[in-house]
Amino acid sequence: MIRSAIDLMVSKNNFDTEKQDRVEAIATTYSYAPIKVALCFGFLTRKEYKIFLKNEGKEIVDVRNYEIDPSYLNQCDIHHINSFLYIPLKQDFDGSLLVAAADPFDERLANSLMAKFRTNIKLVAADDLDIIWLAHTIRGRELVNEAVYSLLKKDPSSSGHITFTDSQLLFIFGMVGFVVVMLFVYSIPTIIALNFLASVAFLGSIMFKLYLALKGSQSELHDDVSIEELGALKNEEVPVYTILLPVYKEDKLIRKLIWNLKGLNYPKEKLDVKLLIEEDDDETLNAVRDLDFPANFEVVVVPFMMPKTKPKACNYGIFFSRGELLTIYDAEDIPDTWQLKKAFLMFKKLPKEYVVVQGALNYFNRNENLLTRMFTLEYSYWFDYMLPGLETLDVPIPLGGTSNHFKLDKLIELGCWDPFNVTEDADLGVRVYDKQYKIGIVKSTTYEEANNEPFNWIRQRSRWIKGYMQTYLVHMRSPINLIRRIGWGGFFGFNFFIGGTAITFLIYPILLLFFLVYLVFNISGVKTVFPDWVLYFATFNFVAGNVLMIYVNMMAVFKRRYYELILFSALNPIYWLMHSVAAYKGLWQLIYKPFYWEKTHHGLSKQHSTNAAVPAI
Amino acid sequence: MVFLKKYVPVLLAIVLLSYYLIIAWVLHRTGYEHSEALFLAEKSRLLFEAKENTLLILGTTFPTLVYLSTVVFSLFGYPFAPILASVTFTTILFLLLVQDFSKTSLQKKFFIPMLCMLFLLHPGLVYTAVTGRSIALLLLFFYLLFRSLFIYYKTQTTFSLSMASIYLTCLIFCNYNFIWLLLALMPFVVLISLEGVKQSKHGSPIVQYYESINNRSQRRKLTNRTIAIYIILFILPLSSVYLFKLLNQVHAGNATYFLTSQYANWSITGTETLGSIFTGIDYYKTSSANFVGTNVVAQTQIVFQGYLLALTPLFILVFAMFKGRLYELLTLLSPFLFIGILLLDNQTYLTIEYYLIFLVLALIGIYYYTGRKYTGTNMYPIIIVVAFLNILAGVYYFRQTSDKEERSFFASVKNVAKKSGSRKVSEEHRMASYITNLMNAEKNGDNGRILMDDAAAYSIVAQMRQLSSNVILPINTYFITVAENPKVEAKYICIAKEKNRLKSFTVLNQYNLNRITNNGLVHPVIMFETENWAVYRLDEGRGG
Repeated sequence: MIRSAIDLMVSKNNFDTEKQDRVEAIATTYSYAPIKVALCFGFLTRKEYKIFLKNEGKEIVDVRNYEIDPSYLNQCDIHHINSFLYIPLKQDFDGSLLVAAADPFDERLANSLMAKFRTNIKLVAADDLDIIWLAHTIRGRELVNEAVYSLLKKDPSSSGHITFTDSQLLFIFGMVGFVVVMLFVYSIPTIIALNFLASVAFLGSIMFKLYLALKGSQSELHDDVSIEELGALKNEEVPVYTILLPVYKEDKLIRKLIWNLKGLNYPKEKLDVKLLIEEDDDETLNAVRDLDFPANFEVVVVPFMMPKTKPKACNYGIFFSRGELLTIYDAEDIPDTWQLKKAFLMFKKLPKEYVVVQGALNYFNRNENLLTRMFTLEYSYWFDYMLPGLETLDVPIPLGGTSNHFKLDKLIELGCWDPFNVTEDADLGVRVYDKQYKIGIVKSTTYEEANNEPFNWIRQRSRWIKGYMQTYLVHMRSPINLIRRIGWGGFFGFNFFIGGTAITFLIYPILLLFFLVYLVFNISGVKTVFPDWVLYFATFNFVAGNVLMIYVNMMAVFKRRYYELILFSALNPIYWLMHSVAAYKGLWQLIYKPFYWEKTHHGLSKQHSTNAAVPAI
Repeated sequence: MVFLKKYVPVLLAIVLLSYYLIIAWVLHRTGYEHSEALFLAEKSRLLFEAKENTLLILGTTFPTLVYLSTVVFSLFGYPFAPILASVTFTTILFLLLVQDFSKTSLQKKFFIPMLCMLFLLHPGLVYTAVTGRSIALLLLFFYLLFRSLFIYYKTQTTFSLSMASIYLTCLIFCNYNFIWLLLALMPFVVLISLEGVKQSKHGSPIVQYYESINNRSQRRKLTNRTIAIYIILFILPLSSVYLFKLLNQVHAGNATYFLTSQYANWSITGTETLGSIFTGIDYYKTSSANFVGTNVVAQTQIVFQGYLLALTPLFILVFAMFKGRLYELLTLLSPFLFIGILLLDNQTYLTIEYYLIFLVLALIGIYYYTGRKYTGTNMYPIIIVVAFLNILAGVYYFRQTSDKEERSFFASVKNVAKKSGSRKVSEEHRMASYITNLMNAEKNGDNGRILMDDAAAYSIVAQMRQLSSNVILPINTYFITVAENPKVEAKYICIAKEKNRLKSFTVLNQYNLNRITNNGLVHPVIMFETENWAVYRLDEGRGG
């Protein structure tokens, strides 16, 4: 009996029965239309399906340019549309309701719509992606509004909607005013004090990083999840896992994305993969449409609303997520094959208060140029040593942009990501601790594409540093409350790690200039202004700080055996100058365009990893 | 019982600490003070009591870590601070060893008493603890360095390697000679690099090397790994030394000020060249009837390392136990290589610390590897007996030592043991008391000032009750002017007498006093003198 397009395809030997059974099983479990499962779980390509429809005499209606009667659409639930892929268009001349559906043969859909609208239903064929686009752009308004403002409504003190609070502005201007007055009244002592404080802050921040790196490197041998445990894990035991893939104009990466996802060792039917495409991103949508092989993800179109940021897209994607656990990857990410299972097992082992586990990030194109090498060194020490170090010290961990795995219910309880924060991940990491939860580290690596172009790198880095500043400002609105919630250790860790990072990059060029003026060019004026002890400490702090940072970079090569990169660590002072440029750009944007999302262009690398997924390290 | 077991190491450490303090006190009563301890005490005093150039003292006094630790303990009195520091660090070394031994499968009832025996009775370790020298901190970092290296063999973690490089840096800042250990560790690095190469895993290192070098990718990997380990291990010590030299250059006008200035480094005045010992010049002739000990003779022999081994029987035992384990053997050999380099570079007499590092290394060897290899209890009595031989070897060392202060220590201990050690006060202490009293009297009278040079007279400055503002030292910017023409500022002058072995390190000696007084403008009147020191009052002369 033919009840859907899949049945028809099977009857005509265009689809095998074994696949059909699997499609039916998934469709029943998740209440999806079979065609949705076939198109989104890697059973059928859109091109094949279009040819089939054409052969069956079904003309595909262009719903995006169709004049529809919104009164019918407004009666439909966006989730139902998303699951069954249809759009009520208008009443036909014979009184029946014309409905565009991805599966014009879907008898169950026709029956349910008939019951709902109490009229005859006439199904016409439409592209499923167009249906999704139209449904989300029209019916997703409320949800996107919720995605943007829910945190602000629920927990305004954690939202970055206001960059500087009145008291913060008062404090900042008060401090600036105080320093200016002091500069006029006690010029030299004030300059000495500023110099001293800056150099101590510089060295202090780096010493803390070294300490973290050493702490983190202690856990190098310890494997939280063993290969045996992974091998013993049965597919029936694992939960549905949502993967959010926020993309914007990433049409070139879609093919790669599919192969990377295919490498994941996780039962296909339990992967709930959502490709989050912005409303105005037809390039990516068309790239999905034109794929020559079956896609293993669902498309969710994020309706336009400012701010147009990744966290907003992710928050929107959560409304359609079915998983018990959730993670985020970027389009170009190559996650470790076992990552999802490792994260699941980690959650099983960790106490209940652990609501997130963060995987390590690294780069597959590390040897492309100097910038990618430096970036790889930085990511290696950051994810392999610093974050485990923070975990050991129970200090808030700023989450990485991707490969962070959440318990979905807890993520919703935390208020999801802040759309007004441009490093929403770091902010969420701090918020996790703020709300008395914890973050674990899972030893599993996702390989990304390192930024290989300096201006693109500065764009990306300026956003990160601006985000760190935003995060710092948000959580330091009430330092006393913060101490009360995360303790003194967490408070100092937060100040050194989040606040200290931005401050270090801002003061670095000033200290470098001072160092050059004093030691290299030996300008005598410096010696007349500063007493010997200040010069001694400033020189010591600056040189020691740089050496220690080079040393931390050098440590990074060992765990992953990137020995060939060790000499590049010596270039860290130059790399830090680039950070300083980005920091000043970030500071400027923080004041003038706090929510502006500097888009990082991906897919610039000429190197590609040959492996779809990389074994665990 | 569980409570006791848990705290036994700490309780033992407290007992040991008390034992060392008692010995230090008893020795102090016999008048024994080590000049290095007094040097450190004097620099601590200057840091807190001098009014000028304190940055120069804090920033350039070497060994930096030893000095800083003395500064921390100076709360308990300047002369006592270095002793308290060395007692504390030796006890920490003991505690770490006990804790490490406790973690192994070795029978604690054998090894803990062995450690107690060594730390209580080995004269070298007792000397380390009670003299206030830099040896205690040096041994502690030496122990931590080699422990990290041995852990690295087992675990191959970045942490161990990073910690090794940090400890190596600390070691150099406890004794600059240990910078040569970098060279001595080179073979170790070359071999350890093989660990990361998956070539003939079960073959000998030579076969592994051969195969790695003849395979392009393996060769590249091996080279990269070797260079990386070199860099991570050596970057911190070398860059720290560079930074320290930079700071010396900028603030003292000489990059090697901390190594070459008698104001910054005790070893300039405290160590002796082999030549000076052999020619039997200076104090040996007067003090000990030309006895220079046989150690100095051994040091000039090509088989000096054999002599070192003979004085550390435990090390010989460990060496035998490591038969067939090339990596570990090379690590154990690296200090020999270090001593070899040192003998080539440095013609100074090697004192007890260069012998004690082998004892420390032997202890690391016992608990890290022999515990795994020789679990049979029949080995334990042998180890205990050999440890006892080690103590006897220590006694032999002190009987034969060519270092005056080590002989003086041994003599003091013997006197105490014979109960013939009546309370004595050193001549520097007597001189310090006199100057303190003199300055106190002057403060109430003419306010006359005294010119002193702590290049040689640091032992006196260290033992003064307080540093009066009437004491003019080289740290004062006008010292040179006053030294040339004392009558400008000074009423008194403290000089090193002709027989003082330090007389050539200071401008305030008999020769210069004669030169100053020759013009007849100044007439020196002796006020107080000891065997090596004299204080003169500078009266108006009749003119030249």
